[in-house]
Amino acid sequence: MVPPAGPGVFTVKPSGPGAFKLVVTGHTFTSRADIEKFLAYRAARHTIEQGGTWFTLNEDRGKDGTVVPVPARDPDGPRYSFRMKYFRPVWRYKTNGSTTWTRWSPFSGEPFISADPKTISDFEVSAEIVVRKGPMDDADPLAFEAWALSDLLVNQVSPPK
Amino acid sequence: MIKRALTASCIAVMAASCTQAAAPWVRGYVVAFYDPAFRYGGRADYSRGTEIEPGVDCPHGSTVHFAVPAQVAKSLSLVSWRTPQEVEALANPPATGLDRNPAGVYFHTWRAASAYRGYNRDIETYINPFAAEDPGQPQVTSRIGEGFNLDGKIKANDFVSPDGEKGIDNQLYRAWGCDAPWRGADGNGTLVLRSNDKMLEGLYTVVIRISGNKDPMNDDDATLEIGYSPDQIMKDARGNVGVDYSYRIINSEQYSKLKAKIKDGVVETEQADIHMPQIAWFFNQQRDAFFRHGKIRVVPNSDGTAAGLVGGYRNWRDVYTQNIFAQSGGTQGVREHEDHVSLYYALRRHADGMFNAKTGRYDGISSVYRMKLVPVFVVDPDKPMGIPARDSDTQGQRKAFDDTAAAMIKAVDTLVPQEVPPTSRELTAVDGVEIGRGGVALPGRGRRGYGGNRTASSSELPVNQVSPPK
Repeated sequence: MVPPAGPGVFTVKPSGPGAFKLVVTGHTFTSRADIEKFLAYRAARHTIEQGGTWFTLNEDRGKDGTVVPVPARDPDGPRYSFRMKYFRPVWRYKTNGSTTWTRWSPFSGEPFISADPKTISDFEVSAEIVVRKGPMDDADPLAFEAWALSDLLVNQVSPPK
Repeated sequence: MIKRALTASCIAVMAASCTQAAAPWVRGYVVAFYDPAFRYGGRADYSRGTEIEPGVDCPHGSTVHFAVPAQVAKSLSLVSWRTPQEVEALANPPATGLDRNPAGVYFHTWRAASAYRGYNRDIETYINPFAAEDPGQPQVTSRIGEGFNLDGKIKANDFVSPDGEKGIDNQLYRAWGCDAPWRGADGNGTLVLRSNDKMLEGLYTVVIRISGNKDPMNDDDATLEIGYSPDQIMKDARGNVGVDYSYRIINSEQYSKLKAKIKDGVVETEQADIHMPQIAWFFNQQRDAFFRHGKIRVVPNSDGTAAGLVGGYRNWRDVYTQNIFAQSGGTQGVREHEDHVSLYYALRRHADGMFNAKTGRYDGISSVYRMKLVPVFVVDPDKPMGIPARDSDTQGQRKAFDDTAAAMIKAVDTLVPQEVPPTSRELTAVDGVEIGRGGVALPGRGRRGYGGNRTASSSELPVNQVSPPK
């Protein structure tokens, strides 16, 4: 249902025990939601391919990601298979004529990419996940059940160009 | 009768030595109360308005889906194609000064909006729950739960029985135990009450027959039969389920015959597939509760009644469809303060049996139900018979249920969103209000089928005026 991605559009590399760095790159910016959903879908599929059933997102807060608070566990509150609002990858992009990357963190409190989308010539969205098996920690706001997420997104996503 | 009296007296003094000569024996029960084995943990001293209190089972209390505007706004804000203004308008249907019942406006607006929460506005949610975001479901956090160790393992998420047995598999309780209509003290959850009222008023009857050839208190080669009875439950002069009436048990698709062992009066069956009637409050949902790898336990009480427990792995699709499609998802969700999208995700998250190697996912969830049993005579019918049809069959209501369930199952199995079947009760007008695509309440439609929750005529309900702004 999801068309195959072009060469280099999606990459995944091990980054630690059970951890993987996932990157989606492209040149034609469509919308933040479209591209982040594709990355989330790839994270879910990669988890399943690795024999896992759920994954956790390691938030990349860097130096500029301290404004938005870390979501807290609420073990007594409602439980979720996933919470899309907490799938927050980090972006970097180049505009026409630029040779340097500009970083945008969803934790910085800054509005999403201020540049005119038409001027974006390159973008890169990345997330680090940890693949997990067994009963899901559904009180963890950064936990995502792979099958449920894949089911939700399979009809919605396509790889960027 | 003499044999029965002797058996009853044996049960009454079962702690004492009471023996009978080895001889064929039989005893029967009718199910007088039937509910999911959810262990209520509320505090008796707690009171906060009309809320069902929190407890050790559910620290935040029961679900409050579609109970208040803030909760509705929270759910609808997950819908990507709705603007914040639309969400606000739908959560708080505006008063226009016209004569109408506010409860009806909320009811119809919310049930309509709740039915379209997919990733695009044409996807009906209750048939395609996978296409909506998870609104979240409070779940049971306590460790004590009734049931059986179905898989012979002791796992981290298992419960400990009130008797201290570890490894109890009852993930339906974990997933749905805080769901408002099924939670409450002494079985007073709204759907527990409703389904039992319907059963006691004749919607369906479940009977159990236990027989053997040794001592009824200790028999290692007994037989337990459970199944549908075509005979309505009889009550005594006080309105309680009557003792010693006779009921037929029919060998239908809702019948099972199991080997059992009896020790000190406690009956426990082998582990096997079990077919029996499922909990119902409408005839169209009165179906087979199919427990895979299931088990039944019957514990006699000193007054001749008994406590029954049946458990096994049920297909989560059956559990979902049984709970929702007797009427429509929106009607039930708003009325009962439950959200079937949340319930869908909770079922799948906690599914723990019937592993499907083809899909790599579990199709079953361990499920346990309680039964209060009253002693009766259970007999075979004079000639073989099936489960009788009811009037509602001729109105196509069972077909409506089947068509809707089939569409939902096809949707979740193929991940191709399905249309609402034309027969489905998802399309049925309530109080003359139908639900249009995109979750718009459409008043002024002909009444079809269910007319409950009637608060005003369609002319008094200008629900179209609370449609979301364009």
